[in-house]
Amino acid sequence: MKHRLGIQFALAAAASTVFFFVTPALAHHAFAAEFDVNRPIKLRGTVTKMDWINPHSWIYIDVKGPDGHVVNWMIEGGSPNVLLRLGFTKEALPAGSEIVIDGYQAKDGSTRGVGKVLRFADGRKLFLGSSAPGAKGEPDK
Amino acid sequence: MTHLCLAAGFGLLALAPVYGQAPAKIASAGNKDWTMPRTTDGHPDFQGFWTDASVTPLERPKQLGAKEFYTPEEAAEHDRHELVDRTSWDRLGSQAQVHYDMSQYGLDVSLVKVALTRRTSLIIGPEGRIPPLTDEARKRRADQAAQRRGHEFDSAQNRPLQERCIVWSNTGPPMTPAAYNSNLQIVQGGGYVAILQEMIHDTRLIPIGAQPHLPSNIRQWLGDPRGHWEGDTLVVDTTNFTNRTNVFGSTENLHVVERFKMVDADTIVYEFTLDDPTTWTRPWTAQLPLTRIEGPIFEYACHEGNLGMPNTLSGARAAEEAAKKDAK
Repeated sequence: MKHRLGIQFALAAAASTVFFFVTPALAHHAFAAEFDVNRPIKLRGTVTKMDWINPHSWIYIDVKGPDGHVVNWMIEGGSPNVLLRLGFTKEALPAGSEIVIDGYQAKDGSTRGVGKVLRFADGRKLFLGSSAPGAKGEPDK
Repeated sequence: MTHLCLAAGFGLLALAPVYGQAPAKIASAGNKDWTMPRTTDGHPDFQGFWTDASVTPLERPKQLGAKEFYTPEEAAEHDRHELVDRTSWDRLGSQAQVHYDMSQYGLDVSLVKVALTRRTSLIIGPEGRIPPLTDEARKRRADQAAQRRGHEFDSAQNRPLQERCIVWSNTGPPMTPAAYNSNLQIVQGGGYVAILQEMIHDTRLIPIGAQPHLPSNIRQWLGDPRGHWEGDTLVVDTTNFTNRTNVFGSTENLHVVERFKMVDADTIVYEFTLDDPTTWTRPWTAQLPLTRIEGPIFEYACHEGNLGMPNTLSGARAAEEAAKKDAK
């Protein structure tokens, strides 16, 4: 699988951003309040650390831009409790791992985002769930 | 998938075998040879780890009318559709199509144990839906919405309680399924029953006995529970909620009665009735299975890593700045 080096922003035509305020049972917070579905990102970089903190884990990656400048991105991940129960251990994503993340950038335009699909640079998927019923390891499009 | 009908104390409830972490690992359920485990005081022993993860909606889809149960074949098709065909976010109704935890990185709720039921909705009875609001509640809701409008992101205090890591909607009472980490532990002893919810790591400490409720001027986020046994059923009566505890739109007048009854070695039928005459035109009742899981419960230190709150507020500030620039 080929991925372009560096940061690739695909800024989709701005449809109206959907805010959903009252969603108490869904998630810790509303996706649309923190991340911008109109700012999809694809990042290729090297893991520098992973914070195993609730309510969401955070993966830090160094991403080298086309100009050679390295920027550290923070990518929000799942609840550590869920990850651990499904086999994602602290050893699963050691510092130095080269990964590719598809996701969405933070609404404030900072170098933070949420991951949707995570692969190692050689194309391997991180998750065991790819062949399981209901697992949706691929992007929608 | 086979469903087993159990003549439970609350009426007919059908439970399917639960899904193990691997789809092929389907546990057996409904062992007829089981005997009620009991604590040294003779009451049923509910201690252990349980999940109420569910793919059954709280309210019955309108097209099903008064149909309270699926047939075994319909239930199998429903569960297959919910667990296999749809992403978690299809199921949970997120507009964003993407989010963390269940559908992220290949994870999905179908990989965790789900407590299945043949019920078409968790709310029981012919309506299967939350009753209509009282006129007072409709006005209250409209007033609250008007006050909130345009101020949703002003500060942390304007955000929902679960975003602030104060109360999670599944903690209860009543306990309702969470989107993920829908796990709990029950501990009994010394005149108390304790229920630890993994999300967001709250413990309900329920005194068992005839003590009266706290004075009405003492209010608590999770209310003031009092438990007693009716035969082998644990009944928990909770009042004294705060005026900011919001259970499906309720007020501080909320009164919750919960009933726990073990129907086989791995299943507790959990039922709750909500009454708040200042909110609903009548009380309403829901019922869901708790299915035994392997422990342990993991810590969920919500405040510790709640970067979502500053990110949300900084996103709102950035949007305001952008709007100002556009206006110039």
